[in-house]
Amino acid sequence: MNARSHPTSLLLLAVALTITASPALGQQRDSLQALKRLTLDQLMNIEVTSVSRRAERLAQTASAIQVITQEDIRQSGATSLPEALRLAANLQVAQINSREWAISARGFNSTSANKLLVLIDGRTVYTPLFSGVFWDVQDVLLSDVDRIEVISGPGATLWGANAVNGVINVITKEAKDTPGLTLVGGGGTELQGFGTARYGGTLGPRANYRIYGKGFARDRTLLPNGQGAPDDWHMGQGGFRIDWDASTSNRLTLQGDLYDGRSNQVNRGEIAISGKNLIAKWGHTVSANSDVGAQMYYDRTHRDIPGTFGEDLDIYDVDLQQRALLARHDVVWGVGYRLINDRVANSPGLAFLPPHVARQWFTAFVQDELALVAERLHVILGTKIEHNDYTGLEIQPSGRLNWTLSPNFHSEEELAYEAGYRHQNGPWLLSLATFYSHYHGLRSIEQTNPPNPTPLVIANGQDGESYGAELAATYRVSDRWRLRGGYTELRVHIWPNPGSTDTSRGSAESHTPDRQLFVHSSLDLPAHLRLDGMFRYLGKIANQQLPAYAELNARFTWQPVAALDLSIVGQNLLHNRHAEFGTPTARREIQRGVYGMAQCHF
Amino acid sequence: MALMSSLLLVQGESPRTSEYQLKAVFLFNFVQFVDWPPSAPQDSQPPPPLLIGILGDDPFGTFLDETVRGERLGARSIQVRRYRRIADIEACNILFISRSESERVPEILSAVKNRPVLTVSDGDEFASQGGIIQFFTDKNRIRIRINLDAAEAANLTISSKLLRVAEVVRTPKR
Repeated sequence: MNARSHPTSLLLLAVALTITASPALGQQRDSLQALKRLTLDQLMNIEVTSVSRRAERLAQTASAIQVITQEDIRQSGATSLPEALRLAANLQVAQINSREWAISARGFNSTSANKLLVLIDGRTVYTPLFSGVFWDVQDVLLSDVDRIEVISGPGATLWGANAVNGVINVITKEAKDTPGLTLVGGGGTELQGFGTARYGGTLGPRANYRIYGKGFARDRTLLPNGQGAPDDWHMGQGGFRIDWDASTSNRLTLQGDLYDGRSNQVNRGEIAISGKNLIAKWGHTVSANSDVGAQMYYDRTHRDIPGTFGEDLDIYDVDLQQRALLARHDVVWGVGYRLINDRVANSPGLAFLPPHVARQWFTAFVQDELALVAERLHVILGTKIEHNDYTGLEIQPSGRLNWTLSPNFHSEEELAYEAGYRHQNGPWLLSLATFYSHYHGLRSIEQTNPPNPTPLVIANGQDGESYGAELAATYRVSDRWRLRGGYTELRVHIWPNPGSTDTSRGSAESHTPDRQLFVHSSLDLPAHLRLDGMFRYLGKIANQQLPAYAELNARFTWQPVAALDLSIVGQNLLHNRHAEFGTPTARREIQRGVYGMAQCHF
Repeated sequence: MALMSSLLLVQGESPRTSEYQLKAVFLFNFVQFVDWPPSAPQDSQPPPPLLIGILGDDPFGTFLDETVRGERLGARSIQVRRYRRIADIEACNILFISRSESERVPEILSAVKNRPVLTVSDGDEFASQGGIIQFFTDKNRIRIRINLDAAEAANLTISSKLLRVAEVVRTPKR
């Protein structure tokens, strides 16, 4: 069936209640009287952000936030963005094969996890094929990342409908913070070889730039029978960023990336992935109480999977927003427009119909944060208006899978309750977030002519709930030794509504362990040596019959001089091979890996 | 058409401080950590206010006025003045030079040369140009650079408490 262009409707009411009590974090409070009581040392520890910075809006969201810093990434020995995201205990991260990852927050994990919003420097990374993320092409120079903010829970007003369960916000450093030449090279057993070159310089008194190039080759994973799955791949990427403080009140940023990669696959031709993107941003300070920000970007991705499908996707996006502080009000409003042009080359095995789709979105939002009691109680009220038109996809089973996004497919609705606690006492920092979410109209797979098993259509015939708790703790054993831990309990239940013919019970929607545990240890040793360890335990994924597993990564570093850093990293050290995701026949097993790395800075 | 409304109730910290709110509080602190030479005895009652001047586009909005409102240094009240031209500058104690004036910093500094005026700016290179206190930002935190030669030339004494948290530089020899 050929679906038509159709305006969809969404009514989403998210109520979130977050209670945080944090005496030691009091210095962050923005009250003037509190600021005036601080010592000079304390004043110098306050982080300031320009009001138009997109990153900063996240910090106000009433959700559980974890921040992965540059230091965390470096110490972990992570070599890709998904590996770095393992550092956030509030995410469910599973490696599927050498190239693909399933990442989500608060359950609902699948290769096509569609409830998470992922931003890289303000650019939404996204494929409209399943409203999800192709993680293999979301690469950045990890040493240029300033921080990654991970929010689990309702992303609320400021973010799109995709932010139902969380937001991942990757923020790279400004060009002025990456001066000089940095060279990195290394190789090992799984990550067979990699190299990076980055140079940062100045273009004028207030204009800075950096350029970079990188490449890597990764070994294949294993089939369940222990034979090699031919999914080894390699990729190259380059890019630049220019930051210009044009005047006291105007800031401009221009940045872009270009990448190209190849991967093997079973009995078929090579998979080709490539793409490019360009972002321009302007920030303008209207007054001390008001900022305006505008950004536009272009993102092109090409993906050719011989025997399955090919896709050329162009995304054009323009956003404008203003923030104003008015007495006790903190108002943010904005408008946005996005155009997606998607061309798909179908195969006998899988077809997305129609093969050419052009979709556009219009968004407008306004949010007001009102301080009811200064420093104590804030209310955030917001409204988002979104208009989008979309057409369908078809996949026919048995030689031709037929998958239709029918006009009856509405956006899912969620009602969420949250309560949290944050406590700092001496060397301890504890935070606890608990949540309950009810989902209405979850994606279901319906038989159009029951009891015939086919054709199937995608509808909103299921309801569900999820609940759990996220606990994070940091303990500073001594100046040289720091321990960090995270523990998550999560339950997801999904059931079909009366009249629904779905028999999957949400098995296509959520493949999530009931619990996961992380312990990270960072130890500074004498003689410029350092040892980091990251242990993780993930419970079984019941609906994939995937057993629980525990794994350990470790990094040993020698930094003889500030400009040179030599390290050896072991990944997944506890087992020869283990699986993290997938049904028993489809899953791939990931092998233990070791690599060595040298980094020097001039 | 889609309508999404949300109500979020937050209790606790809002980890957000505006850059110029913080800089206003720093200026207020400078009043307490800098000693001006005693001025000629005056019979006037009450004593003259301590003046903080802003030259050029005012980046503070109402922050600086709110910060010093009702505050006193001893018997002296603290007042904020705004100047457009160099010629407008009166006998202020602290002069904040806006980044809008960055092109003519040398001219401004020579106009207040050898007067007990604590010059402050967040313009690039301000301290090495001969300004006394320069704000700069490092990892989203406000830092202070103090040119001790310039402070001494202005006959100002800066408390060691302030010097301890600052990066101290000297005027480059020409």
